[in-house]
Amino acid sequence: MNKEERLIKRYKAEKRFQFYGKAAIFMALLFLVVFLTKIFSTGYTAFQKTWLVIPVNYNADLLYLDPDKKPTTEDINDADFYEFGIETFITLDPDASEDQIMELKKMFAFTFERELKYYLLDNPDSFGKTVDVKLTASDDLDQVFKGNYPRDIPENRRRASDYQLKIFDKLSEDGRVISEFNASFFTNADSREAELAGIASSFMGSLFSILVCLSIAFPVALLAAVYLEEFAPKNRFTDFIEVNINNLAAVPSIVFGLLGLGVLLAVFGLPRSTPLVGGITLSLMTLPTIIIAARASLKAVPPSIREAALAMGASRMQTTMHHTVPLALPGTLSGTIIGLAQALGETAPLILIGMVAFVNTIPGTPMDPAASLPVQIYIWAESAERGFVEKVSACIMVLLFFLIFMNLGAQLIRHKFEKKWN
Amino acid sequence: MNKIEAKNVDVYYGAKQALFDINMDIEANKVTALIGPSGCGKSTFLRCLNRMNDVIDICKVSGVVKINDYDINQKDTDVVRLREKVGMIFQKPNPFPKTIYENISYGPEIHGIAQSKSEMDNIVEESLRKAALWEEVKDRIHEPGTGLSGGQQQRLCIARTISIKPEVILMDEPCSALDPIATAQIEELIDELRKEHTIIIVTHSMSQAARVSQNTGFFHLGKLIEVGSTDKIFKNPTQQQTQDYITGRFG
Repeated sequence: MNKEERLIKRYKAEKRFQFYGKAAIFMALLFLVVFLTKIFSTGYTAFQKTWLVIPVNYNADLLYLDPDKKPTTEDINDADFYEFGIETFITLDPDASEDQIMELKKMFAFTFERELKYYLLDNPDSFGKTVDVKLTASDDLDQVFKGNYPRDIPENRRRASDYQLKIFDKLSEDGRVISEFNASFFTNADSREAELAGIASSFMGSLFSILVCLSIAFPVALLAAVYLEEFAPKNRFTDFIEVNINNLAAVPSIVFGLLGLGVLLAVFGLPRSTPLVGGITLSLMTLPTIIIAARASLKAVPPSIREAALAMGASRMQTTMHHTVPLALPGTLSGTIIGLAQALGETAPLILIGMVAFVNTIPGTPMDPAASLPVQIYIWAESAERGFVEKVSACIMVLLFFLIFMNLGAQLIRHKFEKKWN
Repeated sequence: MNKIEAKNVDVYYGAKQALFDINMDIEANKVTALIGPSGCGKSTFLRCLNRMNDVIDICKVSGVVKINDYDINQKDTDVVRLREKVGMIFQKPNPFPKTIYENISYGPEIHGIAQSKSEMDNIVEESLRKAALWEEVKDRIHEPGTGLSGGQQQRLCIARTISIKPEVILMDEPCSALDPIATAQIEELIDELRKEHTIIIVTHSMSQAARVSQNTGFFHLGKLIEVGSTDKIFKNPTQQQTQDYITGRFG
């Protein structure tokens, strides 16, 4: 082979190599696009909520209230809005049979009682009048309205009956079906009814877990890393510790869940299903990640800086605290955030410590029972109702947004502090 | 008068012996140059004088190193106070990644030398002046020290070291990373600093040793072959090895 041929061959090999690289990137992007498209196309409807606007006659007789006296808050609170609601629904179809009345009722979310009551509490003037009231549609009709639910299959295989669809279409023609931004998705806790289920509980649960995890894992990991890197003698024992930390980082997360279950719940008797226990469990998992990141950052601090400080007569501790740790902090922080992002997406250990329980209250402290975002996804994905399909995707979107936000933060910290001295 | 007396100093890196029975006296307010081929142990000896070898886990030092007649190799010697007295300049300029001001104020701060802000300002200015850097940086002393040129950074390191007024300054090839002009500036500075400090400089350049030092020690393979006045070592060495080295026959 002469020189010319070898040159051509080399060029070709390089071109080929670049092509493989580009193809790999293209593949990765393709997967990402497919994944995101799927999530967004399924999930975006969850941010819309369907309401049925019904004429409601706040008649004193129907509510068993005194028609001549303006009702007090207490009067309204004591009134029976269930019967009142049924009476109201009958006005949609005065000829409805007993069974059809039940079907009419099922067109609305079971919270219709509360919604009717709160409307009157907020608008006391409507007492004795007929007004239009916005009621949450049932998840079946919600899905029909969003087009997620086929109407052309036989009635017995459908959740919404022909009768309900007939009434719904009539309301729709009158412009009484409206779609608005689904604020309750963010403010409600979980619910068995898809149309009412929200992520407030799991979001707060995740937030509290992460905060607990951060406040335990970060200081412990930083101290461990600083000691191992700056102070500990290099001997068999520290080698042994190092190997174990690296091993710990590779332990499947479910094992940490078992540890949380066996030790935190069983031995220490901490409250089940709480972000406190979840956070501690996650911190065990995050600890090795942060230690490894912190040690790498400490190793990256040039030894000349340590020598400079020592030669100035700084003690080892002063050298570490004044120079090494501040220089290693940006790297440590971004490692921490990446560790936390990992913890945020963790499901298995939380299921084991009971954060998979159905929680329909919003936790106010880390000691209250809560779910977490990934577990919420798991719970909803298991639910049979059609309405939860879009919720799963919407919840994934919120989780992804959370993760992107955190990773952006990590990037920002790294960028800002790296720039400063170069 | 002898500022430093080293007696029977042996240094081991693990199983390998790096220095063999070094005996050397160093005079106060003079510049003593340590010369010799790479790996001869001259830097190792230098680091014995402020116990910087403590940093290296596998390094073992034995023997007596007396500074002002006090043996610094005792167990209860406080290395912080030792290094306050014996400063060190390194081969590669290593300013802290902080401002010029903070680089210099760090030493006085941790040793509690300055009582007030104005006193600290004075120390910073005085140190920079002594290091012949003040005129170049006086308008930007609150900018990063790492933004200076190599020669300026090395002078900043010198200013940092003299800010706590050490009695002895150790220099480990301070000019090896610098260009000839910066080297000339540092050499001038060394001659100036000699008035107040005792200086020991490790250098690869024999011409530098001849220019800046009054005394010279020649190391070879971990042994101190010959020590004496620079004049004598360069013009009339007693040892054949010294003669061979300075005439460029090896090293």
